[in-house]
Amino acid sequence: MSAGAATMVSSAGGLLAMLNESNPQLKYHALSNLISFVDQFWPEISTSVPIIESLYEDEEFGQHQRQLAALLVSKVFYYLGELDDSLSYALGAGPLFDVSEDSDYVRTLLSKAIDEYVSLRSKAAESSDDAAKVDSRLEGIVERMLDKCILDGKYQQAMGISIECRRLDKLEEAITRSDNVHGTLAYCINASHSFVYRREYRQDVLRLLVKVYEKLPSPDYLSICQCLMFLYEPEGVANILEKLLRSENKEDALYAFQIAFDLVENEHQAFLLNVRDRLSAPKSLPSESVQPGSSNPAHAQNENSTAPEDVQMTDGSSAVHEADPNEVMYSERLTKIKGILSGETSIQLTLQFLFSCNKSDLLILKTIKQSVEMRNSVCHSATIYANAIMHAGTTVDTFLRDNLDWLSRATNWAKFSATAGLGVIHRGHLQQGRSLMAPYLPQGGAGGGSPYSEGGALYALGLIHANHGESIKQFLRDSLSGTNIEVIQHGACLGLGLAALGTADEDIYDDIKSVLYTDSAVAGEAAGIGMGLLMVGTATEKASEMLAYAHETQHEKIIRGLALGIALTVYGREEEADTLIEQMTRDQDPILRYGGMYALALAYRGTANNKAIRQLLHFAVSDVSDDVRRTAVLALGFVLYSEPEQTPRIVSLLSESYNPHVRYGAALAVGISCAGTGLSEAISLLEPLTSDVVDFVRQGALIAMAMVMVQINEASDSRVGTFRRQLEKIILDKHEDTMSKMGAILAAGILDAGGRNVTIRLLSKTKHDKVTAVVGLAVFSQFWYWYPLIYFVSLSFSPTALIGLNYDLKVPKFEFLSHAKPSLFEYPKPTTVPTTTSAVKLPTAILSTSAKAKARAKKESEQKANAEKSTGPESSSAAANAEKGKSSSEKDGEAMQVDNPPEKKSEPEPSFEILTNPARVVPAQEKFIKFLEDSRYVPVKSAPSGFVLLRDLSPNEPEVLSLTDSPTSAASPAGGSAPAAGQQSSSSAMAVDDEPQPPQAFEYTS
Amino acid sequence: MDLKEVSQQFERFKAAFVKNDFDTCANLLSQLKVLLTKFRSLPPLFENTPNAVNELLLAREIYEHAVVLSVKIEDQDAFERDFFQLKPYYTDVGSRLPPSKQEYLILGLNLLRLLVQNRIAEFHTELELLSATALENPCIKHAVELEQSFMEGAYNRVLTARQTAPHETYVYFMDLLAKTVRDEIAGCSEKAYDYLSINDARQMLLFSSDQELLEYVKEEHPEWEVKNGSVIFQKAKESTPCKEIPSLQLINQTLSYARELERIV
Repeated sequence: MSAGAATMVSSAGGLLAMLNESNPQLKYHALSNLISFVDQFWPEISTSVPIIESLYEDEEFGQHQRQLAALLVSKVFYYLGELDDSLSYALGAGPLFDVSEDSDYVRTLLSKAIDEYVSLRSKAAESSDDAAKVDSRLEGIVERMLDKCILDGKYQQAMGISIECRRLDKLEEAITRSDNVHGTLAYCINASHSFVYRREYRQDVLRLLVKVYEKLPSPDYLSICQCLMFLYEPEGVANILEKLLRSENKEDALYAFQIAFDLVENEHQAFLLNVRDRLSAPKSLPSESVQPGSSNPAHAQNENSTAPEDVQMTDGSSAVHEADPNEVMYSERLTKIKGILSGETSIQLTLQFLFSCNKSDLLILKTIKQSVEMRNSVCHSATIYANAIMHAGTTVDTFLRDNLDWLSRATNWAKFSATAGLGVIHRGHLQQGRSLMAPYLPQGGAGGGSPYSEGGALYALGLIHANHGESIKQFLRDSLSGTNIEVIQHGACLGLGLAALGTADEDIYDDIKSVLYTDSAVAGEAAGIGMGLLMVGTATEKASEMLAYAHETQHEKIIRGLALGIALTVYGREEEADTLIEQMTRDQDPILRYGGMYALALAYRGTANNKAIRQLLHFAVSDVSDDVRRTAVLALGFVLYSEPEQTPRIVSLLSESYNPHVRYGAALAVGISCAGTGLSEAISLLEPLTSDVVDFVRQGALIAMAMVMVQINEASDSRVGTFRRQLEKIILDKHEDTMSKMGAILAAGILDAGGRNVTIRLLSKTKHDKVTAVVGLAVFSQFWYWYPLIYFVSLSFSPTALIGLNYDLKVPKFEFLSHAKPSLFEYPKPTTVPTTTSAVKLPTAILSTSAKAKARAKKESEQKANAEKSTGPESSSAAANAEKGKSSSEKDGEAMQVDNPPEKKSEPEPSFEILTNPARVVPAQEKFIKFLEDSRYVPVKSAPSGFVLLRDLSPNEPEVLSLTDSPTSAASPAGGSAPAAGQQSSSSAMAVDDEPQPPQAFEYTS
Repeated sequence: MDLKEVSQQFERFKAAFVKNDFDTCANLLSQLKVLLTKFRSLPPLFENTPNAVNELLLAREIYEHAVVLSVKIEDQDAFERDFFQLKPYYTDVGSRLPPSKQEYLILGLNLLRLLVQNRIAEFHTELELLSATALENPCIKHAVELEQSFMEGAYNRVLTARQTAPHETYVYFMDLLAKTVRDEIAGCSEKAYDYLSINDARQMLLFSSDQELLEYVKEEHPEWEVKNGSVIFQKAKESTPCKEIPSLQLINQTLSYARELERIV
């Protein structure tokens, strides 16, 4: 008896024999004992499965006993690895299958059950009828599982499963029952974007989320509006904004402004305009007479005074009288929010920021200019491109003005792009864009200038007004219809497409279409792209019209333009675009297949959709045309930009392909999806490609590398420094191929884009796609065929700044903390001596000294000397001190100079720095940004970058404003008035001195 | 308390058993088995309750009787069921209980059953599990010898072994074994001869009269034909034409493989 404790059963034979007994009680006894021994004796039991199965099917046997038998069989099948059978018997076991049991068996079967259920549900949803009947028992298990998750507080699991199972009812339950509803909602939004592959279903999920949000006691309007934007429900957003604006509370108005800024960041022009137009006039009963006036930004500033009067006239019954403070307040706020929604406010502020913080290094350009051979027109125009990109949006065109002679070598299309380059430099200069470009624009009927510069100027206008072209549309249309020179038509089509991006304006479409039907190769290409830009993301039926014409025409250029245009129309439509994609990818014409790749890329942009990736990879290795293969690989970059870490892994094999086109595509794919991330794997993948044997692969790799490394400095990744030196070497090397030289020059431009204050960003901070940026990069990647399209890259630039705004939408003095070493994120050091390497290689001492002398002379000639240009450290710091309000500068100690007493100067490297509004915050720095506790201003939303509305805790004290050195005011704003200009009028007076004059109209001597 | 109740029930069972009242026995046995499921000290749980040994002993005895009973009512399925339920008492808890007198008898019966059912593989499996002393036991030895004779084809020795059965219960199986032997012989004859005269067949199949033989043919082998004083096995009918071994082709193939192998190496 003492040893009895150790007695173990050696066989299940006895119990199995008992199953054959006639007495049901014995069978039950055997079953229940077998259940507990099944883990050990399943091999023995497995031979008797038929007996147990027959017990399960025995009608005379009790319900519980039958379920017990089912459970036993299920377990045996589980051990045998027959999960399907196991699951079907587990379903038969009913409540005996305990979802909360913590065993491998239950876990495996649960996941199996959920998988099964998910696939059944999605099949049912896709076939859109109830043909696929879901087993109610299966449903029961999944529901029990979900209920258990919710009870256990595992809300995220429950939400994830219910999203996958398309059980919106359970999803709602999970969200509302969770303890942190806001947190779970945010999680859910995220999940729905990254894991829900079908667009329609995602919209259902978002609709549900909006519903849940609205039920909350304190709704998170920011998130609601984001969701509504996805659902394209402008009324909802307009209602929320109006409610907030009408609130007594100033904070609500701040909130509304913040929402508007966040919406603007997604660059959905048509939607924003729609919201703006739906905001009712300053009256509870909206009067139609005000509506048209208020929808026009040009009149917006008048509204402040006129609107209440209009109301008074039209609405007699209302008790509101003229001086109703609420209405006055509302109309004032309305003006502001309309300014924001039209994008003007943010563009204005961005422009001011980019102008005042411009840190571009003119010496780099100078070096390039000098090392490039005069006769080499490709490198010559590449330098012009590089300059434009480097100064994108800064309005600084010193380089062009200083080198008019050199510039005048640009002829024909080079002249076209040189002129268009001005548009990039002045991007966002909405008020004066037109007056700036005036000297080059086509003069009505006179026909004085070269068609190339005129076409370029129209293109430039489009770039300046990209996605905000309300005020310029009409002019561009007139120019388009007023000419039959194909170069001008080319420029006008591109310009119109850019200005009216995504507005789907029928009239403009018809104008462009008539150009297309002239069947002129040059104009037709631009027309195709222009139509696409106009119809971005509308999935319009016009695509088939375009496709038909593409089949009809003989000109490859037109086909290519149309192919891209068609691809643009399905932007973001995911499955909806499948038919069109199928049609294009099966076409005989490689150019249309090539368009099909773009269609795939854009329709599934940033979704990381497996189906799209599979298709692209298939084309990348199987198509007969190199162009298609190259584009297929490149398109991967677009599909994957929401998960940049994935891309290097996916294309790594392709980057070693024997086919140079595929290698090129791989390089650009990495460049596109990892743009601005500085991702280490991406750099490692690109590095070998920059010294590829084929020249155009080098070109692509250099450009891609620059895109990845934009705004990364040497302190955070030493390879950036290496890359800069490599670029310099390629540019200076006389024997280098033109192609890679051009790549290097462009790369140098992109690396220092926008005065070193912009990055390439395809996702907004809320992880939504930025339409303009994606479209911009897509068209940019066309530069393979048509260099002037390089300028489209400027659409993807977004300023890396934290700009705090007060209630008046002005920039108050406000400080915050960057909890990291300043050197990690500072601007790259300016190049001092032109090129030491060249001095070694080619002993042309005259060149370097003359360059230095030139630099000095230039510095003196300029009113506002930029610190970078000085040659010695002392003068640098002196100059920097003289500079107004720069938060971070080149020297470590000086990083603190603006805000901190100089006692820190002696310390080696502070571990933090204080930044002053508006400040450059590069993407990598965002996680270190902290707001100070005892600050006067508190941000409405703690976002580390972008526009942030600030709550003033002591509103009665006078505010100190910064960022007054704006390039906004001009002597005569020819391009029409704007509300922002009105707001800035007080500060603009003192800023006049800083305003750079438009460049002299340089003459071409071709 | 339970134990007492079960023992009383068992006593009633034994009384009926002695009286050869098998229907009552079967009823009582069924009730007993249900009662036994209440004991947690029995297999497969083997909980160490205070009465464990008594309960185990009682249960073992019940099952031993059950096995013997099944032989008496000539129910092979029941025999198998009961034997498997009894087995853990010998194997798993054998060390904790005083050895049972019935053990070898029952093991031998089981061996015999396997032999009767022609389950030779299982027979040997069981045999392997027995200890050397067990093999010496006359009951076991009897079964082992039978198996040897059976395998050797010394069928007459198998049939004469009926007289030397160590226990009365063995007789039932010995009868069955005779039938098994007959089946074996029938199977062999079928293969070996096209036909046999009735006389030869009777001798071969160990029947004492022609009548028995004819009945046997009618029941077990309806495909055989009894005609003209001889039994015709339907060999010609069923035998599919024997495929000729494609020896020449195979030889050629093998040679060519060899040649090619040589060439590769």
